[in-house]
Amino acid sequence: MRVLVAEDLYLLRDGLVRLIEAYGHEVVATAATGPETLDALRTWRPDVSVIDVRMPPTHRDEGLRAALDARAEVPGLPVLILSQHVERLYARELLADGSGGVGYLLKESVFEAEQFVDALERVAGGGTALDPAVIARLLSAGSPARGLERLTEREHTVLALMAEGLSNQAIGRRLFLSEGAIGKYTTSLFGKLGITDDQDGNRRVRAVLAYLEKT
Amino acid sequence: MGRPRGWAVAAAVGFVRACAVAAVTLLVPAVWAGAVALGIHWGAGNPWSWLLPLILVGTGTLALSGPVCRAVRFLVARWTGTDLPAGHRRPGPVGRLSTGYWWNGFSYERSRRDALLDQKWRIRWSDPATWRDLRFTAIAPFTAGLVAVLPPAGAAFAVLGLSGAGPAQRLAGVLALLLAVGSAPYAWRPVEPVAVRFLRPSPAMALADRVGELTAQRADVTVAQAAEIRRIERNLHDGAQARLVGLGLSLATAERLMDTDPEGARALMRDARTGAAASLAELRELVRGISPPVLSERGLADAIRALALDVALPVDVDVDAESGGVGGFPRLEAPVESAVYFGVAELLTNVVKHAGASHARVALAAGRDGSGAVAEVRDDGGGGAGFEAGGGLDGLRRRLAVFDGTLEVTSPPGGPTRVRMTVPCAFS
Repeated sequence: MRVLVAEDLYLLRDGLVRLIEAYGHEVVATAATGPETLDALRTWRPDVSVIDVRMPPTHRDEGLRAALDARAEVPGLPVLILSQHVERLYARELLADGSGGVGYLLKESVFEAEQFVDALERVAGGGTALDPAVIARLLSAGSPARGLERLTEREHTVLALMAEGLSNQAIGRRLFLSEGAIGKYTTSLFGKLGITDDQDGNRRVRAVLAYLEKT
Repeated sequence: MGRPRGWAVAAAVGFVRACAVAAVTLLVPAVWAGAVALGIHWGAGNPWSWLLPLILVGTGTLALSGPVCRAVRFLVARWTGTDLPAGHRRPGPVGRLSTGYWWNGFSYERSRRDALLDQKWRIRWSDPATWRDLRFTAIAPFTAGLVAVLPPAGAAFAVLGLSGAGPAQRLAGVLALLLAVGSAPYAWRPVEPVAVRFLRPSPAMALADRVGELTAQRADVTVAQAAEIRRIERNLHDGAQARLVGLGLSLATAERLMDTDPEGARALMRDARTGAAASLAELRELVRGISPPVLSERGLADAIRALALDVALPVDVDVDAESGGVGGFPRLEAPVESAVYFGVAELLTNVVKHAGASHARVALAAGRDGSGAVAEVRDDGGGGAGFEAGGGLDGLRRRLAVFDGTLEVTSPPGGPTRVRMTVPCAFS
């Protein structure tokens, strides 16, 4: 894959580039500020980008904004946001256009290099990868969104793993169930959330979005 | 209620109030009259005949002026709602020095009792409020007191006249009755303007009060900040720093074992990695408590939206669209943003913990002049929230007071509860 790495701290940027190259992908460009990131996204249209939220010049949410702006121009342009903290608000904004190809992970997720690169490849393929920390905070907040209260406990679990970005096969492995059984659960929960026929990938994104929304 | 009946009630209430005002304001002149009567009774030959009444007038006036003014303040506040701050100076702390003597802010005394007594009198003499009260005690009888005495005096003359024999006496009695009844609803009223004019703290006293208030707030803030810094230091010291030491140790050991025991080295490396992840999680929690990242990245409106997402019940956030700025809200000074954010966080925590509500709503608007902010948290819970001393709401009110902010709570039993925070703007 052709990858863009946007991160202002040299050490981290360098580490990410090495890690991604070690797994046989090509880093086509790096960026260290918000405007640079947006330029690079426009110029290179990378298969996937790894973007830090906070960057110069303002040290606010430059990276996130660059990613959102680029996706407004190029719908579904795959981006993976890396941050020191995870906010549901940001996850929601990233997923809001419903076109998938979005990741939002904590920075320490790179410690598990294998899983990190896995997430990167999933996002490049149009899937989602949400940090388990976001999911955990969703579960602990305990105020269900519209339609979520109608889900069974098992459907909840499946939806949470779906939000992390796992495929039906991987969810099945995690829960010791067949892929077919998981398929039944996903169909039933799509029905309960009122998400109907289009491509499965987008249905998954919309289910996760429903999960992030609160009434 | 018919007009005549309403008027009768007003007259009756007014009569009682007039009697009260007359009794309070004429108390000191009554003492004077008593002293004069005593002097006349003893006659001019007796040296005591002028000395004792003089002493009586002086001490009586001094001793009674405080209680009289307190009573007038109480009555005016109760009847008209006009609040007249007393503005008396408060005594400072009295402490014992290493020499064994007591220091009361003015002088050294041998015992605590002496020190307190000395301090009390010095403050009383030097306090402008004492002299203002004395002045009012002298003025009130000849203004408010004179008017307020009309209904009771009229009633007394009416009783005397009507029980008299001659027609002239009866006529005088009827006139006195008319005067008493006619003036009853109004006679107590002059006490308010007179009290407002002569009992209000002077500008100098108001200024001294403000300085005292600010000093107390400064002390509050300093203590709170020092505690906060200590908490952060302790957290860093016991958490992240200790973990990093452990991390270095693991790595050093792994380096040693690389050649002899690669399997053990690998296990240590894994440990180091989990340690690093754990210290990051700890630091993240710490940072969130100091200043939530969303607040610095997005400002107040989005930070409160993010906060609402993390609360265990449905919370609507309305941001006043007129305010403008990023996320529909202007960026404010960091301390103000922080105060409002943590205030809303605390209020929402209260809603979850105490209110038993099913739903809450946060409304956020910019201040009228485009600076500062107004935030209101409403819930449909059981109500009954209040300011207990040392309670959460009281602490919040004190923290807001630093910015001249206010906290209003309406929480009738049975709900709903509405808490409104207003922070005009920082550091004016």
